[in-house]
Amino acid sequence: MGSDRTIEQIPYEDVNADVVRTMTETGRLYYIFLFLSMAGVVVLWGLPWAYQIYTGQGVTGLQTPAFWGIYLANFIFWIGISHSGTLLSAILFITQTPWRRSIYRSAEAMTFFSVMTASIFVFVHMGRPWNFYWTVPYPNQRGLWLNFMSPLMFDVFAISTYATSSMIFLYFGSIPDLAAVRDRVKGWRKEVYTVLSLGWRGTDAEWHWLTKAYTFFAVFIIPLAVSVHSIVSWDFALSKVPGLSKTIFAPYFVVGAIYSGSAGIVTLMIFLRRGLKIEKYITKTHFDKLGMLLVVMSLIWSYINVVEVFTGWYADTSFETESLRYRMFTPPFSYMYWLMIFTNTVMPLFLIFRKVRRSMAPALIISLGINVGMWIERYLIIATSLPRKFHPYMWNDYIPSLVEISITLGSFCFFTMMFLMFVKLWPSVSIYEVKEDIGIPFRTKKGHH
Amino acid sequence: MNPVLLGLYKYVDDMIDAAGRLRDSGYEVSILSPIPLGHEIEEALGEPKNHIRYFTFAGAICGFFFGIIFTLGTAAMYVLPRGGRPIFSATPTLLISYETSILIGVFFTLIGFFLMARLPYYKKRVYDPEVNVDSFGLLVDGIREDKYGEVERVLKEHGAKEVKRLEKE
Amino acid sequence: MSSIFKRIKDKLADYRRPGYYKEFDYHWAIVVDIDRCNGCEACVVACYAENNIPVVGKKGCDDARIFNWIRIEKYIEGEYPDVRVKFIPIMCQQCDRAPCEIGCPVYATYHNQDGLNVQVYNRCVGTFTCATYCPYDVRRFNWFTYKPDKPLDEQLNPDVTVREMGVMEKCTFCIQRIRYAKDAAKDEERRVRDGEIKPACVQSCPTGALTFGDLKDPNSEVSRLARSRRRYRVFEELNADPSVIYLKRVMGNGKRSHD
Repeated sequence: MGSDRTIEQIPYEDVNADVVRTMTETGRLYYIFLFLSMAGVVVLWGLPWAYQIYTGQGVTGLQTPAFWGIYLANFIFWIGISHSGTLLSAILFITQTPWRRSIYRSAEAMTFFSVMTASIFVFVHMGRPWNFYWTVPYPNQRGLWLNFMSPLMFDVFAISTYATSSMIFLYFGSIPDLAAVRDRVKGWRKEVYTVLSLGWRGTDAEWHWLTKAYTFFAVFIIPLAVSVHSIVSWDFALSKVPGLSKTIFAPYFVVGAIYSGSAGIVTLMIFLRRGLKIEKYITKTHFDKLGMLLVVMSLIWSYINVVEVFTGWYADTSFETESLRYRMFTPPFSYMYWLMIFTNTVMPLFLIFRKVRRSMAPALIISLGINVGMWIERYLIIATSLPRKFHPYMWNDYIPSLVEISITLGSFCFFTMMFLMFVKLWPSVSIYEVKEDIGIPFRTKKGHH
Repeated sequence: MNPVLLGLYKYVDDMIDAAGRLRDSGYEVSILSPIPLGHEIEEALGEPKNHIRYFTFAGAICGFFFGIIFTLGTAAMYVLPRGGRPIFSATPTLLISYETSILIGVFFTLIGFFLMARLPYYKKRVYDPEVNVDSFGLLVDGIREDKYGEVERVLKEHGAKEVKRLEKE
Repeated sequence: MSSIFKRIKDKLADYRRPGYYKEFDYHWAIVVDIDRCNGCEACVVACYAENNIPVVGKKGCDDARIFNWIRIEKYIEGEYPDVRVKFIPIMCQQCDRAPCEIGCPVYATYHNQDGLNVQVYNRCVGTFTCATYCPYDVRRFNWFTYKPDKPLDEQLNPDVTVREMGVMEKCTFCIQRIRYAKDAAKDEERRVRDGEIKPACVQSCPTGALTFGDLKDPNSEVSRLARSRRRYRVFEELNADPSVIYLKRVMGNGKRSHD
C-alpha cells in the first residue's frame, strides 16, 4: 500500500494545524471574492428573480412551444455537477482508493451546494413559485395530494432524498474532524464546534460504529445517485417530444453527470489548493488520477453521444431527422454543438499524456472546457427539441432573455458564495483520513502502512 | 468513583500490546485515537459486533413499505384517472418506494449510530485533546486503589510517553 | 374480515384497469370536417369571446404568446398560380391517453367522468410539464396577468374564470355549456340530447365543419360522422387516443369533383 500513497510524510501535528489554519486565517482576497459573489447573488439573481415573480414568467424568453428553457438546462447542469462529489466519494470509499482521502470532503460539499443551486432553479422556473408547497408531500386540507405518476414527482422525492443523504454523508464523515477543530479554536468557534462535534472523543467503539455506518451510507449513496440522474432524465424521456423522448437518456445523463462532476472537482481543486495553500495535501498525483477518470468518462460520453445521433439518423423518421438537423446544422445551435464536441470529445484526449495530467494550467483549461461543453449539451437538449415539436405550424426559435441569462450567471455566484463560506466554516480537508493516508505509526515496521 | 489512567503512546503497536495485556489482567480498557484503527484492534483484541446493519435493514424495509403505502394510499384517496393509466400503477410505486427506502434507511442508520456510539453527549468526559492530534491514548478503568502503581508501570513499560491520572465526572 | 379483503381485491382490480372512466355516461367528441373548413377563423373569435381569453396584441403575437385555444393551421402548397391552401383547425384533442396528464405533479390536469381532459386553474403551479408533453401544442400559459381595458371588462363571460399569471390553460370543449346542459337534463331525468350542447366554435362555424356530440351514443351525429371513410385523427401513431376526429379533405386534380 505504501506505493499508493498520494501525499508525502507530514507529521500528524501539522495536519491539524494546517486544516485549522485554512479555517481561521483569512486573507483580504477571500473577503473580496466573498463580497463579489454575495453582490452577484443579490444583483444577478435576487433582483431579476423578484422582478420575474412580480411581473410573471413573461419576462423570460419562453414562448408557446418552447416552454422549457435555460432554467431547466441549469437545473440539470447543477444536478450533474452534484453527481461526482458524493458518488465518487462513496465509490472510492468502498473500493478503498487512497487518493480519495484528501479531496472527498470538498467534493461532497460541492455536491450539496450544487443540489441546493439546482433545487432553487425548480422554483425559479415555476409559474407560481409562491405555491411551491403544493408539490411537497404532506397531508393537507386542500383536497388534493400528489400525482405520483408524474416524473416531476419522482424528481421531488429523488432530489430531496439525495440532498438529505448527501448532507448526512458530508456531516457524518466530518464529525471526528469537527472534534479536532473544537480542541484547537477559541471563542464563538469553540462553542459552535462543541455542539457540532457531538462530544466525539475517538474511542475505539465510536470509530467502530462510525466506519460501519459510513460504509452503509456509501452503499446507499451509489444507487441513489444513479437513480437521481436517471429520474431527472425521465423528465424528458417520458414525454413524446422528438429529441427528448430517447431511451438512452438515463445512462447518458448519468454518465454526463459523472463526467461534468469530475471536471467540476478538478476545477475546484485547482482553486482550492491555491487559495488555501494546501498543495501538500492535494498533490499532482490527485490530478493524475482525476485526469485518467476524465479520459474514461469522456470516451463513454462520446460513445453514447454517437449512439444517440446514430440511432436517430438511422431510424430516419421525419420528426427525429428534423430535430437532429436543427441541433447539428442550424446556426447558432450548430456552433454550440460542434464546440461541445470539441471540448468534450477532442480536448480531453490530451489527458492521455501524463505531463498534461500533472500540470495545472492545461488541467484547468480542459476541465473548464468540459463544463462549458456539458452546459451546452443540456441547453441544446432543451432549446433544440421543444421549438421543433410535431406541428410545423407552431415552430418557433427560443432565445433566452436578459433575465434568464442574469439568473444563470447568478447561480454561479450563489455556488461560489456557498463554497467560500464552507471553506471557512468546515474542515475542507479530512484530517483523520489524511492521517490514515500518511500512515499509522508503528514502532516495528509490520503489516499495512 | 475511582480516577482512570490514560496512557499516551506515540506508536500504535506499543499501545495495542499494552491494551491486550491489561485487558487480560481484567481491566476495562478503551482506546482513544485520532484515526480509525479497525484492522489493528481487530487483530489484537478480536472483532467487535456490527449491530448497525440491523438498523439499516429495518430502515430500508420500513421505507420500502412506506413508499408503497404512501403512493397507493394517495392514489386511492383521490381517484383521479390521468393519462389513461391505471390508478394503481406499478412503476411509479416502485420508483417512489425505492427512494423512500434509501431515505429512511439512511435515517435509521444515523439513529443506529447515535444509539450505539452514545452520541451526542455533551457532558464532560475523560478526554485529552492530544488524542485527536498525534497520540494514541489507552484508557484504563476499574483499577483498585492499590493497583495504580502496577498499571502505570505496565503502561510505561510498553512505551507510554506520558501517563495521566484523570477524574471521572 | 374476508369481505374487507374481497372489497380491497375488487377495488384493486378496478384501479388496475386502464381507462375505466369509459364506464361513465358520456364521451364528448368533436368531428372536424376539413373539407368544409374555409379558414374564416370565426371559431377562433367565438372562442375568445366565450372563454374570456386575453388579447395579447401585436407584441404578444410576435413573441408567440398568442392565446388561441383553437387555431387554424394554414399550409400552403405549390407556387403561384398553382397554389393550394390547406386549413386544419386544431384545438385541445381531449386525448383519452393524454400525455399531459401524467406530467402534472399536482393533479391540475386530469380526466373527468365525461372523458374530458380538464385543467383546474386553481391547482396549477406552472411547471410547464403538461405543455411540454403535449404533442398538439394546444396549451397556453398566462405569462402575465392580462387585464382587459375598460370597458371591455364588462363583456367577460361570468361562467368562466378569469385566469391569473402563472397558470396553464387550454380548450375545455366549453365545459360551462356542458355543465348547464347536463344539469338541465338531470332535472328532467333524461340524457343530454344530441345537438343540445354546442361549444362556441361549433355554434359559430358558418359552414358547419364542426360537430359536437357524444361518442357513447351510437345514433348521435358525431358517431355517424366518425364512421366515415374519411375519418382520421392527428398523430394517431403517438397513441394519445384523441377525442377530436377529422374528416379528410378530398383534393382532386381539378378535373373530377369530390366523392
